Amino acid sequence: MTDNIKVISPTTRQEGHAELRMEVDDEGIVTKGRYFSITPVRGLEKMVLNKSPETPPVLCQRICGVCPIPHTLASAEAVDSTLGIEIPNAAKLLRRATLAAHNINSAAIHHFLVAPDITDDSNFVAAVKSVSNIRKNVQYVVDMIAGEGIHPSDIRPGGMARNITPFTKDKLVTRMKALKPDLEAHVELIKNLVLEAGLPKDLGANLGDSVPFSPYASYGGNEFPYEDLTEVLPEAWYEDPEVGKRACTQIPLLKGKPQEVGPRANMEVHHGRKEKGVIAQHVARADEMLVNYNDLMEALDAIDTSANTMTNWKVEGTGELGFGVMSAPRGFNVHMAKVVEGRIAYYNALVPTTWNIPIMGPATEGFHWELGAHVIRAYDPCLSCATHVMVVDDEDQSVIKNEMVRI
Amino acid sequence: MVLGTYKEAVSARATDKDILKVSQDGGIVSALLIHAIEEGIVEGAVVAGKKDGEKWRPEPGVAMTKEDILGAAGTRYTMSPNLTALKEAVRQNGLEKVGIVLTPCQTLALRKLQAYPFARFVADKVNLAIGIFCMENFPIAALDTFSQAKLETPKDDVDKMDIGKGKFWITSEGEEKGLGLKFTHGYEQAACNICSDYVAEFSDISTGSVGSPDGWSTILKRTDAGKTIFDSAVEAGLIETKPMDEVKPGLPLLEKLAQGKKDKAAKELEKREKLGLKVPLVL
Ligand SMILES: Cc1cc2nc3c(=O)[nH]c(=O)nc-3n(C[C@H](O)[C@H](O)[C@H](O)COP(=O)(O)OP(=O)(O)OC[C@H]3O[C@@H](n4cnc5c(N)ncnc54)[C@H](O)[C@@H]3O)c2cc1C
Ligand code: SF4
Repeated sequence: MTDNIKVISPTTRQEGHAELRMEVDDEGIVTKGRYFSITPVRGLEKMVLNKSPETPPVLCQRICGVCPIPHTLASAEAVDSTLGIEIPNAAKLLRRATLAAHNINSAAIHHFLVAPDITDDSNFVAAVKSVSNIRKNVQYVVDMIAGEGIHPSDIRPGGMARNITPFTKDKLVTRMKALKPDLEAHVELIKNLVLEAGLPKDLGANLGDSVPFSPYASYGGNEFPYEDLTEVLPEAWYEDPEVGKRACTQIPLLKGKPQEVGPRANMEVHHGRKEKGVIAQHVARADEMLVNYNDLMEALDAIDTSANTMTNWKVEGTGELGFGVMSAPRGFNVHMAKVVEGRIAYYNALVPTTWNIPIMGPATEGFHWELGAHVIRAYDPCLSCATHVMVVDDEDQSVIKNEMVRI
Repeated sequence: MVLGTYKEAVSARATDKDILKVSQDGGIVSALLIHAIEEGIVEGAVVAGKKDGEKWRPEPGVAMTKEDILGAAGTRYTMSPNLTALKEAVRQNGLEKVGIVLTPCQTLALRKLQAYPFARFVADKVNLAIGIFCMENFPIAALDTFSQAKLETPKDDVDKMDIGKGKFWITSEGEEKGLGLKFTHGYEQAACNICSDYVAEFSDISTGSVGSPDGWSTILKRTDAGKTIFDSAVEAGLIETKPMDEVKPGLPLLEKLAQGKKDKAAKELEKREKLGLKVPLVL
């Protein structure tokens, strides 16, 4: 490594392993940043092949322990979609409440991860306590509705395994109402800490020719512009062959352009905010907690606790590719499934962080390399879900086969 | 100690006629659960509910009110996997303080769940485990055999089943018929033959009929939680008591049966081991 290349590997306080490689000038300013996943293959999409339609939500939720709820939901929605299932309204509301609560939790976890970047000792304990309080309360909602806070058992193709009781609904509403002042105070606290952390105003604002991608204002749905999608292998994407060989993810593009996903992109698409960069990303994530809170309360309020939550479905399905497109904490999480003759014939997951991988590296450019990690962390990357595979020669490590793009 | 660890033994009966109308023995299980719910000690309870249209087939479920508890009263002499309803109780039913009624084997399973972190935030929500005495349990088909084939009464026409004084009893339209226990042997589930716990030694409080006169129950107060709820129900006038040494046949019979179960289980274990069968290490 020469002096003008700075490498942070693995980047820290994020999920999974990745490398940030920055070319710098004499002042240490990044002239070229590349960020790529070095997390090994997940392979779950292959494991579900030829299995029953109930299997993907159970296995694919294990893609990750950081946003397991969006994975479960995206998976169940994709299966519902390929089977042509219209789930009962009560199940839709239960799913919506589950995701909204989880998203608040996940933003809070991120605040814990970035706390050392934005606070000194004087506020650290207060910030962490606030994070714990919020997580405890919203995770309780996920536990009650979805059966488990981490890998939920009760989100199933066809709806939800069971409804909550009136007693539980009252409890959740009461608890969430009581949480509101704490949540508002938390959002204020985080925003103030971010604004006062001394981060350069435009840090991370170089988003190149990427486009914000946020197809749903909340929750998600089953529409995805599949015909616009191309997936580029890392060797073709990264100019540096060394990086291309080591990077483990494909680069997904829509209409040939990288897509920025996550809270900032959501705020731009649905709330008209134009600010870019690290500060804007943190502020958007904090504000999004309240957007999710409102969504949670609306869904909870509308749940009819005596209604049926499960459709009687048949395995025949549509034979078409079905999509589950979820508004996950780190951006849109897209699962696609096709059921043929009652078995999973095709499965693919395009997960939140994958979209942002081509964007995060260049976003470090123009500032001192020591600020690079701040830029990456602002995206809250989670890499355990973002991998591809190739076959290399044991002896000389040369690429023998680079086409297992669907693993 | 053949009856496990306990603080105090008493003979008791619920005072509420509504309970005694439907209960198996002294109505202690129902009285304690109703009291615990009404006092907010538990928010609800897991019981062996009755499956719609099939009154002898238990279906584990969550009881939230006195009506629910009374609806599940009485013994069904067939397996009711009550622990299977525990997760639903603490999830979609939102209970954070749970009462549960369990056979001795299920009590042991609950304590294992609590001791080992298998399922998160489930078993730790149980704050009142009521154990019922149990000598053996039967598959539901065996109940058909006893009532229909042997006692010539369709199971659906039976109002009460009971085991006592050496017989399996059914009551139908006010008439009692008994089947000697030697005719029920062999129908019990195989696990019961190596079960060494008669009196739910790991419960908070255990109860059964043996040791007390008809219509009364024998109670072993074991933990602080079990003693507190029982004493408070007595104080509230919901349960009347008699000292154990003033009732017949009293604790000696209970001790004899409990010891008998342990001895029988030890013998059966030895036999199975000799046959090269797998046996549990700890019971
Ligand atoms: C299989 C079995 C064998 C038994 N053997 C003996 C015995 O040998 N000696 C003895 O003294 N007592 C025995 N009992 C206990 C006895 O039959 C009564 O259940 C006990 O005395 C409680 O009576 P109660 O009037 O206080 O309860 P009640 O107020 O009538 O309430 C009974 C409670 O037990 C629950 N229940 C009913 N059936 C089952 C089941 N199959 N599994 C788990 N929970 C159930 C009900 O949901 C209810 O909450 C046995 C019980 C069972 C289930
Ligand atoms: S005899 Fe033992 S194993 Fe059989 S049901 Fe009763 S407690 Fe369970």
